Amino acid sequence: MPLQQGSARVRQRTVLLVGIAVLLAALVVAVVLASLLTHGRHEVSPQMLKWKDRGTTKNLQEVILGRCYNYITAQHPELGDKDCLKIWESLKDAFIYKNPCNITPEDYQPLMELASHPIPCNKSLFWSKTGDLAHRYTKSNQNFLTLEDTLLGYMADKISWCGDPSAPGINYESCPKRSECESNPGSVFWKMASKMFAEAACGVVQVMLNGSVEAGAFRSSSIFGSVEVFNLDPDKVSEVHIWLMQDIGGPQSESCSGHSIQRLISILEERNFKIICEDNYRPVQLLQCVHNPDHTDCRLCTNST
Amino acid sequence: KWKGEGTTQNLESIVIGRCYDYIRIVNPAVGEKNCSQIWEAFKNAFIKKDPCSILPQDYELFINLTLHTIPTNKSLFWENNQLLVNSFADRGRRFMSLGDTLFGFVADFLYWCGQADSPGLDYESCPTTVECENNAVESFWRMASITYAQHSSGVIHILLNGSADGGAYPQPGFFADYEIPNLQRGKISQVVIWVVDDIEGPDIDSCGAHTVKTLETRLKTLGYDVICTDNIK
Repeated sequence: MPLQQGSARVRQRTVLLVGIAVLLAALVVAVVLASLLTHGRHEVSPQMLKWKDRGTTKNLQEVILGRCYNYITAQHPELGDKDCLKIWESLKDAFIYKNPCNITPEDYQPLMELASHPIPCNKSLFWSKTGDLAHRYTKSNQNFLTLEDTLLGYMADKISWCGDPSAPGINYESCPKRSECESNPGSVFWKMASKMFAEAACGVVQVMLNGSVEAGAFRSSSIFGSVEVFNLDPDKVSEVHIWLMQDIGGPQSESCSGHSIQRLISILEERNFKIICEDNYRPVQLLQCVHNPDHTDCRLCTNST
Repeated sequence: KWKGEGTTQNLESIVIGRCYDYIRIVNPAVGEKNCSQIWEAFKNAFIKKDPCSILPQDYELFINLTLHTIPTNKSLFWENNQLLVNSFADRGRRFMSLGDTLFGFVADFLYWCGQADSPGLDYESCPTTVECENNAVESFWRMASITYAQHSSGVIHILLNGSADGGAYPQPGFFADYEIPNLQRGKISQVVIWVVDDIEGPDIDSCGAHTVKTLETRLKTLGYDVICTDNIK
């Protein structure tokens, strides 16, 4: 009897020990697996660079393709020979897998060539700090075209994109602000597209400036002041019409006789352009009046008419 | 074969692209939508069918997938003045017209139709409403108008063209036949009618006169509080 009990107890103890050993082994395996998995997950995100501006627009490909087809099919059938798929690919190749602080104009050259198209004379409308108003104007008056009414500008308006050297090559989390680095995909794109838009302009060109901005209506640091003004071709462009728009009921910081406008006029005259400046160009002001119908500036009959 | 314009080229890319454009940029407040699914629902409403047999209900799934709230007091109905409406509505910021909703936005200015014996789209021609009423595009806008009216609330605005031939309030017309009957009286506090003449255009119609009077009477009989203004600044 005592012998039997002894061996049963040994067997029990062995089973217990084996059980504990199995449990411990399972625990160790679980811990190892868990650390491997989480370590793996952390591995993917910290590799992408982090920036201060919003990331690439989600579904960028679908949006760009849709806008391209919309533009050439529904709005401008004379551009029917454009290949939207190729245009998308050339945009993607410009920035994918690249460090977003190292973008060059050469990166965008194929895209610019594929997507550019001629602009009719007398229709170019440049703008600075008046984007909303300028676009509402061209929407209601198809006699004028801003950069954002051309195929290139139309596709890229209000969209952001940038790449990253690590997979998948596009950064949807964040993109560099201009203050972080100037050679970022967005800034380089708009600078190049603006230059080409200015170079393509002919005849009489228009520019809509903001007379309610404290820093001055014309600034050399703006894209208009630094890129577009200097890329207008004096052999093609005869006159520049400035429309100086003040906010209805807003500050009248500057008018055609103001300092920055005088500076702009002298820059343009030096390049042999004829200049006309008009304060609160009436057709555009009427658009502003849609939102302020009761203001005195928005009366239908004025003393001058 | 048919007298109307054929299906717009690259229709699928345009519709899907516009769908993502809307949810990512134009009006991200509507939240996440499955744009591929939306395209499929749109397409299935009219492909493989006789192009004269498409009914508004065929677009029901499409509408269910694209429906979103229309902010109260922001509905803008219109007749014969689409360009004016677009610049006035300011892309949904001031008002949200049908073309500023997701379901209107993806289809605006496009043409489409299918064929009875094949899954393909007809790019050659599509039936006009004169040739047959129950065509893909007509039924779409009927369904879209019905939906838009059903989901409008608060103060609703109607922009009419006082210079239009035949009067500012066309009958038959989308507003008369599909929108007014589907307004939810309990949700609407007031109806504001604006009659706007073309600049230097004829003043054919105005508040209290001809077709506009017909409209005002009809709405008042239905129990709405109606205000009408001519040539609102």
